[in-house]
Parts: sequence; C-alpha cells; structure tokens
Amino acid sequence: MTPAVISLRSGRATARRMASLAAAGRLLRLELKRNAMPYVLPLLAAVFFFDTVRTADGFPPVWTVRASVIGDHMLFEFSAFAGGIAAWAGSRERRRKALDLVASTPRAAWARLSVTLAGTLGWLLLAFLAGVAAIYIPTALQASWGGPPLWPVLAGVAGVIAVTMIGFTCGVAVPGRFTGPLVAIGVLVLYQAGFREALGLTASPASSGTFALLSPAGAVPSVDAGVYHHVAPDVSAVQVMFMGGIAVALLGVLGLAAALRQPAAADSLRSLRALLAGGDDWLLRAVAVVLVAAGVAASWTAYSLAGTARLTATGWQIPALHDAASDRPVPFIPDCTSGPRGFKVCVHPAFSGYLSEVATALDPVAAEIAGLPGAPVRAEQVASTGTWPSGYGPSRTAGNPPVFQYSGEQVGDLFGVFWGIPAGDWPDWRAGFQQGLLDSFLTGPPHPAAAARTGPAPLGAAQQAVEDGLMIAAGSQPPLRIGQRDHPGGQITAAASRFASLPASARHAWLAAHLPALRAGTITAAQIP
Amino acid sequence: MTATAAVLKPAPARTAGPGRAGVRLAWLHIRSRRVPAGVLALAVCGGVLHAALHWHWAFGSGPYAQQIPMITEAGAAAVITVTSHSPFGETERATGRWLPYLRLFAAAGMCGLAIALLQLGAAGESLNEGILVLARNVTGITGIGLLCSLVTGGLLAWTLPLGYLAFCQYALLQGWTAPWTWPVRPPADRGAWICACAVFTAGLLLLTIRGPRTRLSDEE
Repeated sequence: MTPAVISLRSGRATARRMASLAAAGRLLRLELKRNAMPYVLPLLAAVFFFDTVRTADGFPPVWTVRASVIGDHMLFEFSAFAGGIAAWAGSRERRRKALDLVASTPRAAWARLSVTLAGTLGWLLLAFLAGVAAIYIPTALQASWGGPPLWPVLAGVAGVIAVTMIGFTCGVAVPGRFTGPLVAIGVLVLYQAGFREALGLTASPASSGTFALLSPAGAVPSVDAGVYHHVAPDVSAVQVMFMGGIAVALLGVLGLAAALRQPAAADSLRSLRALLAGGDDWLLRAVAVVLVAAGVAASWTAYSLAGTARLTATGWQIPALHDAASDRPVPFIPDCTSGPRGFKVCVHPAFSGYLSEVATALDPVAAEIAGLPGAPVRAEQVASTGTWPSGYGPSRTAGNPPVFQYSGEQVGDLFGVFWGIPAGDWPDWRAGFQQGLLDSFLTGPPHPAAAARTGPAPLGAAQQAVEDGLMIAAGSQPPLRIGQRDHPGGQITAAASRFASLPASARHAWLAAHLPALRAGTITAAQIP
Repeated sequence: MTATAAVLKPAPARTAGPGRAGVRLAWLHIRSRRVPAGVLALAVCGGVLHAALHWHWAFGSGPYAQQIPMITEAGAAAVITVTSHSPFGETERATGRWLPYLRLFAAAGMCGLAIALLQLGAAGESLNEGILVLARNVTGITGIGLLCSLVTGGLLAWTLPLGYLAFCQYALLQGWTAPWTWPVRPPADRGAWICACAVFTAGLLLLTIRGPRTRLSDEE
C-alpha cells in the first residue's frame, strides 16, 4: 500500500468522523431548540428567586453558609422540574407514536435517547449553574473573607444529573401522562425524607441512618463554618459518588432499554447472553452492562463509606477519604478595634462588618469593671463549638490576662449573634453582648482556657442585680432572661436601680471590695448599696 | 319468508336507553382521559402519604411537618390536572354537547376521590393539620393545575402546581400569612379557604367552558 493510499483512507476516516460529529451537533442543536425545558425555566426562575435567593440574602455573607442553600433549597426546586421534565422528554417517542419510525433509523436507540437526554440535561445544568452564579456573585461582592466553595456545587450538579437520569429512564421505561408528575413527586418525597434524616443526624451515622449523610439537604451550618477550619469534602465527595453512580447505572439501563422491552427468556443466563449478542451492536450493549455494574458499584461503595463517617470538632470525616491536612486551622489576622474607653475587641475578618457594633456594645460595660480582678482586658471571637439543634458552646472569660471569648453563634443568652441581625435596630442584641461579658465576670474568676468549656453558672439574685445595675449605668435596658423572675417585691429591680444610681467611682469601689463575696454568692440583693 | 328477505330484514335495533347511553358516554370519556390509571396514581399518592406518616419520613410537628403531606397533595392535584388532556382535540369539541358537563364532573369527581384516597392513606396515622387542610390543599392546587391546563395543555399542566408547591415550601418555613398561600395556613383560616375555593372554582369553570389547550402534537 502506497503512502498516498494510506493518506487517502486516513483522510476519508477523518471526514467521516467530522461528518458524524457535525450530525450529532446538529441533532443536539435541534434537541436544545425543541426541548420543553425552556418553557419551564421562567417558572423555575420565579421559584428560585422566592425561595433560594431570598433565603441566601437573609444569611450573612459567609461562603459556606450561603453555599448551603444549594443543597437545602435550590436542589429541591430543580428536582421537582428536572425529574418531571426529563420523564416528559424520555416518553416523547411513545407520546408522538414514533417508536416504529425511529426504530428504523440507522442509529442505536442509545444514541438517539442520549441526544434527547443531553438536550434536557444541558438546559438543566445551564439553569443550575446560572442559579449558582446568582448566589455566588452577590456573596463575592459582600463577603469580606474567603472564597467560593466548589463541593456544594459539585454535589448539586450530581444531584441534578441523578434526578434527570431517574426521570428520563422512567419516561423511557414507563411512558405515560402520569409518569412526569409521579416521578417529580417521588423525587421530592425522597428529598424531604433525606432532609428529615439529616436533621436528626447524631454522632453515629449507624444509629441514625447512612441515608442521612447521603442526603444533599441538611441542617444549616454554623455561621462560622469553613471560617476557622476548612469544611472537609469527605461527605460531599461521597454524595457525588453516590449520585454519580446512580446516574451512570441508569445511563447503562438506557442502553439496554430497547432490549429490556423484549420479553425475557425463562433462563436468565441465556437471557443475558441474548441481550448481549442480539441486535445490531453487541458492543454497545456490553458497554451498557459495564456501565450498570460500575454505577451500582460506585453507589454501593459510597453508601459503605458513608457508614464509616464520624463526627469530629471540624465536622464529618470519612477515614478512607479524609485528608489530615484539611484539619489544620485556617490562618487569619483578626480585625481589631478599641472603643472610646479603650476596650479592645477583635472579630474574625469574615465578620468585620460587625466589629464596630460589638465594640460599641462592650466598651461601656468593660469600662465599668476595668481593673477589677478577673475583668477581661479584651474580647475576641473564637470558633463556635457544637452543632444545631443540640446547641453551641457558651461564651466565657479565660486566660491570663483574662480575655472574653465569644463565638458567632452564642454570647451569653443571645443566640445567632452574627446571623444578619441588624444590631443597631435591636437594642437586645447589644444588651445580649453586655450580659455575656458580665455573666462570666460575675460568676467566677477566669479559668484556664482548657477548663472553661462549661461557661458561667446561672446568676444569683445579687449577681443579677449588680449586672442589671451595671448595664443600666452603661445606658442599656437589661433584657429579661428566659425563665427569669424577679424576687417578691421586685428586689432585683430595686437593687439594680440603687446600684446604677451610684456614682461610677462608688460602684467601682464597692465591686472591688465585695467581688469575691459576690462571686461566692454570700451577698444578698438587699445588701447592695 | 325467503332467505333473501330474512337477510334484508333489519336486525332488531339495540335499544339503549338514555341512561345507559349516558353511562357509556361517561365511561368512554373517562377512559379517553386515562382516569382509571389516574385513580391508580391517586392511590399511589395515598400510599406514599401513608408510608411517610407510618415510617416517620415526615416531621411530627412544627413547620416541617406539613412538607411531605403537601407534596403528596400537590401530586394528587397534578394527577387530576393531567387527566384533563383529551387525545381527540378539536374533533371531540365539534361533536359532543355533553363534553363540558363531562369535563366538569370528571374533574370534580377526581378531586373528591383524591381527597378520599389521601384521607384513606392518612387513616390511623397522625396527619399534621388534619383532613381539612388536606382537602383545601387538594382543591386549591387542583384549581391552579386546571387553570394551567388552559395555557399549557393537560399533559404539562402539572408544572404550575409543582412550582406552587416549591414556593409554599418556602412560605411554610418563613411563616407567611397571606391567604393565597393556603397550604401554610391553619385549618380554620377563612381567607385561605376563600382563596383555595375561588381558584378551584375558576379553574373548574374555565375548564368546563373552554377545555384544556389542545395541540396536534399532544398525543399519547
């Protein structure tokens, strides 16, 4: 064979491949044009705006918190429409009574269905990624620290693909007018059942169901999630593997769909051989079987891995996937400022928008107790410990010199401290910070950092009166604590008023003299000047 | 009588009374709309509701408790709206003067049946907010679907109920009080009842008068 002939043959093969690609591109373009999804997009966009965008807007501009709406809200809306519309697209050949017509085309059923699937999936993924951009772009403009997390996006994309594959396969296998809505409803019920499990998740996945960890929806993370430590991608990776496995297996099922419609032989082994050997392209069918096996194996592996997960201080970890390097704290330089009276307050740079509010709140009460034994010399934000709904660790004063440590979740009795509460519009927010600082000051001397995990004990009547008096003197109205009742005759209120009306120097002197007794609980409210 | 005469003698006409003909007409109508399969789909919705309540897939109380019941109710409403699709289109409209009444009774009957089947699914289990909210949700969301069928046709009329469902999941968690978000309102809320019934009445009347949108390509 001469080089010229080889070159000619090679050129023809290339031309054939190009023509084939061009035909596929033309088919895909037609499919994108004729797909039902664009007609549903306005409705999906409206629901997305009302639910996902508005929810994200209500969250503080912290990347991990804002990204949580992808699994918790966005995927719900996309699941409803992805499942239904994919089933609608999958049942099209039957709906148009074109089964016999398309069966005579020189293309494998798999290729034909894949184009329809690709068109539907293309629209859905385009819409999904546009939705992610609608969440991430405002966050990028507002966030003062960090960068966009990609794992929630990947898990969301895997979820959309899996739901689309489920819907499409159901549409191909059971074409009918009820398939679309029933698939959508089934997917939504599965989603909500997973969400229910995820909210009830305890420290051991074995006791509360592995399904809970595989659910992309879950509890809203703490406000500083991903701020002090990286969020380990273990659970997201397992979710992607699980849902990706489902999608791959169903893609294989689609390849076998035409053959599966034939009545199965009694002997399953002979049936499998017939399935592989029958028809015009046994290779495609063998690939389909491999895909089914690979998909099932991936999903099963992911399920097994999720069962080994354990809860640590930095979140869920799966030993087989975990990278110990991700456990290291994320380095940062805190944003600090001092109030007019010199009390230094620091926050994590992700929450720098709250710095002046916190400093304004703490500075007056810190000045009231400045110089007394155990009085904090500064306040700093630390990582919140614990999870919702079991509760977060309390604020405390620890170290030498004493430092008031608070988290973005809880200060004293105030919860959800940095959850976008407009501090200036809500006096109780400021008073909550002051209470938190005074609680730990009045109930005892500062502990070493390691021993200060339990937080301050409940205040006695005299301690409460002194705290209220200090807050009144600082210009705040003490908020009533949950379950708090004054003593008969309003002893606490009266003592607080008396104490607040004293000159600042007299208050300070009395505290200096009686602080140990006050902390020990041996002073009554009536003894307060 | 010759053989020829016997052959030519007209066969005795099958005397079908107006009642029997009416029943046959109604049966043909509901069969053409796949109502029997629709009843099966409604039973599936009832079964899902029963399973969700029995195995505690749903929350027992609080705002989340209404989520899965609402999904099954929206699913039942979607099934009802899909049965409004006719495979005959314009031809059928031109021939039958009973068609509007058949549409009316089919949709209303399916709605009643859906409420009954869902209630049956919830029997013996603790259904959050009870049968009244279930009935209100099914009627109201069915009304939305029937209105949607005038624009999209019956086969895609399930999209708007699902969109409304997704929106109501948000309204539920945000504690909306607007009467048009009736799925999140308590059973005795008069405004919610008025809104749900108004939407259902409007949808049913317009479906009765105009019928769902039909296109030649809408076949099944």
